[in-house]
Amino acid sequence: MAISDVNPFEAPPVGDNMFARITDNVSRIAETATPPRAWYIAFGVAQLLLLMFFGSLGYVIWNGIGAWGNMMPVAWGFPIVNFVFWIGIGHAGTLISAVLFLFRQNWRTAINRFAEAMTIFAVVCAGIFPGMHIGRPWLPYYMFPIPNQMNMWPQFRSPLEWDVFAVSTYATVSILFWYMGMIPDFATFRDRATTTVRRVAYGIVAMGWRGSSRQWHVYERAYLILAALATPLVLSVHSVVSFDFATAQLPGWHTTIFPPYFVAGAIFGGFAMVVTLAVPARQFFGLKRIITIRHLELMNKVIMATGLIVGYAYGMEFFVAWYSGNKYEVFAFVNRAFGPYGWAYWTMISCNVLFPQLHWFPKVRTNPWATLAIGMIVNVGMWFERFVIICTSLSRDFLPSSWGYFVPTPVDLMTLGGSFGLFFTLFLLFCRYLPMVAMAEVKAFSPAGHAHGDH
Amino acid sequence: MSSISDKKRLSVLSNSPSAPASSGTGEAARPTYWKSLAELEQSPEFLELAAREFAAPLDQEPPNSPGRRRFMQVMGASMSLAGLDACRWREDKILPLSRRPEGTVPGSSRYFATAMELNGNAVGLYASSYDGRPIKIEGNPAHPDSLGAASAYHQASVLGLYDPDRSDTVVTRAGGARTASSWAKFGKALGELSGSLRASGGAGLRVLAERSSSPALAEQKRRLLAAFPQAKWVTFEPISTDGPRAGSVLSFGKAYRTHYALEAAQIIVTLDADVVHPTFPSGMANARALTKNRAAEAGEMSRIYAIESSVSSTGGLSDHRLAVKSSLIKAVLAQLDAAISAKANALPELGAAQDKPAAEFLKEAKVAKFLDAVAADLLANVGKSVVVPGQHQPAEVHALAHRLNAILGNVGRTVFYTEDELAEEQSDVLALKALTEELGAGKVETLLVIGGNPVFTAPSDLAFGDALAKAKTSIHLSLYEDETSLRSSWHLPAAHYLESWGDGRAWNGTVSIVQPLIAPLHGGKTALELVAMFAGNAQPNGLELVRATHPELGSEHAWRRAMASGVLDGTASARVEPKLKPLGKVALGEAELGALGGGNGKLELVFAIDPKIIDGRFANNAWLQELPESMTKLTWDNAVMISPRTAKELGIKDADSVTVNVGNRQLTLLALIAPGHADGSLKITLGHGRTAAGHVGGLVSESVDPVGANAYALRSLEAYELATGVSVQSHGTVSYRVASTQDIYTVGEIGQQGTQERLPELVREGTFEEYKKNPKFVEEVVEHNPLLSLWVPPVSYDGHKWGMSIDLNKCTGCSACVTACQAENNIPVVGKENVAKGREMLWLRVDRYYKGEPEDAEVAFQPIPCQQCENAPCEQVCPVGATMHSHEGLNDMVYNRCIGTRYCSNNCPYKVRRFNYFNYNIDTIGITPYTPTDDPKAKVKAMVFNPEVTVRSRGVMEKCTFCVQRIQNVKIKAKNVKRPIEDGEIKTACQQTCPTGAIVFGDLNDGKAQVAGLQRLPRSYALLGELNNKPRVQYLARIKNPNPALTPAEANAEASKTEHG
Repeated sequence: MAISDVNPFEAPPVGDNMFARITDNVSRIAETATPPRAWYIAFGVAQLLLLMFFGSLGYVIWNGIGAWGNMMPVAWGFPIVNFVFWIGIGHAGTLISAVLFLFRQNWRTAINRFAEAMTIFAVVCAGIFPGMHIGRPWLPYYMFPIPNQMNMWPQFRSPLEWDVFAVSTYATVSILFWYMGMIPDFATFRDRATTTVRRVAYGIVAMGWRGSSRQWHVYERAYLILAALATPLVLSVHSVVSFDFATAQLPGWHTTIFPPYFVAGAIFGGFAMVVTLAVPARQFFGLKRIITIRHLELMNKVIMATGLIVGYAYGMEFFVAWYSGNKYEVFAFVNRAFGPYGWAYWTMISCNVLFPQLHWFPKVRTNPWATLAIGMIVNVGMWFERFVIICTSLSRDFLPSSWGYFVPTPVDLMTLGGSFGLFFTLFLLFCRYLPMVAMAEVKAFSPAGHAHGDH
Repeated sequence: MSSISDKKRLSVLSNSPSAPASSGTGEAARPTYWKSLAELEQSPEFLELAAREFAAPLDQEPPNSPGRRRFMQVMGASMSLAGLDACRWREDKILPLSRRPEGTVPGSSRYFATAMELNGNAVGLYASSYDGRPIKIEGNPAHPDSLGAASAYHQASVLGLYDPDRSDTVVTRAGGARTASSWAKFGKALGELSGSLRASGGAGLRVLAERSSSPALAEQKRRLLAAFPQAKWVTFEPISTDGPRAGSVLSFGKAYRTHYALEAAQIIVTLDADVVHPTFPSGMANARALTKNRAAEAGEMSRIYAIESSVSSTGGLSDHRLAVKSSLIKAVLAQLDAAISAKANALPELGAAQDKPAAEFLKEAKVAKFLDAVAADLLANVGKSVVVPGQHQPAEVHALAHRLNAILGNVGRTVFYTEDELAEEQSDVLALKALTEELGAGKVETLLVIGGNPVFTAPSDLAFGDALAKAKTSIHLSLYEDETSLRSSWHLPAAHYLESWGDGRAWNGTVSIVQPLIAPLHGGKTALELVAMFAGNAQPNGLELVRATHPELGSEHAWRRAMASGVLDGTASARVEPKLKPLGKVALGEAELGALGGGNGKLELVFAIDPKIIDGRFANNAWLQELPESMTKLTWDNAVMISPRTAKELGIKDADSVTVNVGNRQLTLLALIAPGHADGSLKITLGHGRTAAGHVGGLVSESVDPVGANAYALRSLEAYELATGVSVQSHGTVSYRVASTQDIYTVGEIGQQGTQERLPELVREGTFEEYKKNPKFVEEVVEHNPLLSLWVPPVSYDGHKWGMSIDLNKCTGCSACVTACQAENNIPVVGKENVAKGREMLWLRVDRYYKGEPEDAEVAFQPIPCQQCENAPCEQVCPVGATMHSHEGLNDMVYNRCIGTRYCSNNCPYKVRRFNYFNYNIDTIGITPYTPTDDPKAKVKAMVFNPEVTVRSRGVMEKCTFCVQRIQNVKIKAKNVKRPIEDGEIKTACQQTCPTGAIVFGDLNDGKAQVAGLQRLPRSYALLGELNNKPRVQYLARIKNPNPALTPAEANAEASKTEHG
């Protein structure tokens, strides 16, 4: 099984009609014996990062979380920044699969599958942090309402407890949604399988899908119901995550604007991650005919719109702080922009507010590589947004005597970098073995699917 | 006990049944010896019973016909019992006391009165004993220098007792090689030695001792000198005592001790004197006296002027502060003398007034105005003022102060004198110099060094260490194998004061008995015993030596009373009224007439005793190393302190590494910019930079870096208290993160602005005049919306409602409370790197804020324990309910439940919560004094823990509990006898040790409680109360009593305008 230098997916898809070509275009990615060299390189890098991730976490578990830079007063440092960052990434997937589905934005079908995959992998990455960042990482189950002989029960007034339910609900619904959507495509893989292993494996996960009208009817109903269930989650998850901050009385956290601002920011960052993944994926897996420039342009427009909302929120925070007349609140924001962490604030502003403005130019937003660059910049900006909110607010709160300055340790950076290893490992495996594009749905909205004219 | 008797019973049971069974085989066989008539008869009933004696209960089937269930039962039991084979249990030898020692209740602590001596001053203490282990120190209320208070180093002395680095064996260093020896061998060597010494009348014998006020030691010293008439006894302490002695000789012709009745003084002028600091003679009692009339409610307040080079605790309390170089103090006093003598009805026998010194700085408007105001105030309060000079100031300054106090009629009213029995003929350092010369000349055969660490603490140009090596035999008695031990031919382990019998005198002469709480852990002996051995007593017994010294305590009753109270009544020295000799005109050198500031080459350097580790003797005490220094908040380090203006002129920034040059000696260390410091003055504290202190304070032989820099390296015979002509160069920022607990990094302009904006709300302050006009001004500082709540609080606080009041007008920033809290609550030490990262664990911190321009900054202290909010932000956000509200209003921490999300800390506006980022107790976790372990050092370390407080593991949050264990102890005691808890019966650790009584704890439901009364005062306020947290701790605002002549009217109006906003 030699690795070819030639990308096997550059060749035009085989088939005598559009449906067949779509099937071939998508299926051959998972069916090929030798993925392109780029996949191996990417997977190798991801594996190294993943090793670093588990290595750093192991180090932290062994020594105590003092291995990270967390201190007093910045008791939440990188781990929670990473948690909020990854949770935010996930939002685009749910938005694309559920909200855009309900709004009948059919262009979503080209990207919804891997956006959903991205959501789940992002939630996996995010989910590791709350459990790991606690002082005694062997006891996170104390947060679950499990009847026990110790007569312990969670304290439901804590927003962290709300997080437990918000995130776990989100993860459950996202996985269900993702998996259910893949069933017809698994059946396609099963039917095309040339080896027993593939036939059995895909046969099991296809759960006996035959493509009968009755199955399609049930499938469509279930899909609609799950979409309706997932839609409020788009709003609720990050709202609840923002409550971690908004319900605290820390200046810089204690703000009513947080829920909508966090949701907009999450969609913003999530779409940026989708384009960051989509551009290389369509390039390397020969999906340019399915994920077209038009798709990228539409996503870029969403990025621009949500970026403007986020920019508005940044401005509004300042205005409200000034308008409140509360000196601690005013100080928190002035200090955020011009204090010792000013560099982080201005990184955030330029990445999240200034660079997305380039998308006003059609030439930029229709250029895949410009799209990729801005997507990456927005990802950096959104990570810094969480850093700015968490670390700068904590570093200087009410009593000047307890002010401090958080400095990350190398272990912090390893954990952050390593979490990308986990994400990309999962994503690359997904690309290799699962249907990357929702074939059935794309077919439904392809011109060939409308051969009989509009209904 | 039970395990032994159980085993015995088992063996009895297994042996005895065989006897009747074997004898009962033949039907007619009758036992030779029989137990009962029935046995003798061998009746069938008896035989049946005997066979069944140890059978299971009668209704059980014998296991020979097992049913299925029975089989399963037996098999199950066998299987589970088979598993037990794998279990091992510890074999303990338990030796029960056949009779309970009187008064001993296992598991409860008892207090014993004892005393700790430092530099010839013994401070009476109570040490608690828990199952035979001393674990906590408190002040002895009956002792005149304590009055119930204890300082940080008293508190930390228990950690010193259990220091695993303490020397545990006699050591000889013949030819440089270290050999472990024993007391027996030393006794033998001593026998030989004294033979030859006796022959020469002790001509080659010198004793170099720490200053001690112990009458028992004085008696042994007398015997030693009687046995060896040619021997000499030299006293050396690096702590300054010579200025007062020589000043008194200058004034009175004889050494007298000066005592101040600060509570009787209306005007207090301190001249480079930190009169309230524990290192000042009777400092803690002074602190209590000085703050007594600083309560605005009384309607009268004293006024304090501090003229000093660096900001002292007294300077923090003062109403007016003038920063001048230490070398200018003499001119300041001469100026005051000239001004006051001219106007006061000076008695002719006091001599002529001083001339007005022709000093540059006295012409400066700021200084002139200040000194005029001080002189006027002093003159207006004749007989009600006091002038206090600093210990390290030269003789003339003390003489001038004696003169001023006499002119002002203070003697007999606020100033008292007693004879100084400990005074030597010459200064310590000159005595040491003479000894060094003798050593150099080879005249000393045997040098006995009792305590101290002269190799480390002697002035650098004396090269005492090299001279010491010339003595044929040098013997050093000390707690550690320190720098001096390494140069001596014998090292003898000393007993800690908590292991010793002894005695000592307070500053006013009151005798206290030092009684041991534990037998010497490492076989150490006391100075008393060692001197007795030298004097010819082969088997000295400390207790007998002490009792022999105090024949008045001969009766058991008197002795026990002295033991119980800790002080011997009526032993205070009599007050004397020495006659003041006319003082000539004091000579003022060039440096003493200089300008205020000074550039390189014109700087002065003040050598100060470290407030925490003193002269270096406590360098291996981790509690003291980690205690933030009052002003700089620096831990695990020392620094040269520079005023902001001088630093700017010299191009030095905060936390720079600088080289200080004194003559040809230099030292590179950290520099810190100290607001309020005098321009042109530098200050370094002595005692850091130890190379053989131990694993905490520095042990070069085991690659443990010294903590801080050794300032003794700059000290010389000429430049002893103070060096002039000093220069300093910066090398840029230090390479490490400075381990300070406040302002670790550059605060920046925005931070400064933000701090200054909120400070008036955090540390509320006003003048006495303002207070009299509007006592409620404190409440009006913060304007906020009505504090409403959405719901009724779920707790009604029907029973107790614990609260605390902290008087900011009384806090001197001495931080004794911080160490008391650490000792009481088993607070771990985290080390320099973690402090630098902001991970210190101290439950109680003392915040220090500066006010005004950096050059003339005023300093304010604010102790911050957990505020125990009724509407606590921490409780609401914990997802696992690990911090809960008690029905008495405490925010309880449940360590077992805490998983360490740290959300509580984020939501705490006071940031009083501390998190175990690592397992700081990893050495001692799971180890108690009773656990067998292979690591004897860990076992010794574990002995210091307070058994009433959980030792926290890694990953859990902790914080101040209001000493909940003390609350519970008193509650149980009161409940047992069905009486209510009295006010003041429960004292938190911080409250108990506070020298000024600034902290008051009690039940707010008790209307008559002191704390309730204090919280009702108009100047009581809740810190950040506008957040509606309802904190249970309230602060009493600072009220200053400034001299109207020194406060510009317009500035006054301005200040009141902003404050009343």
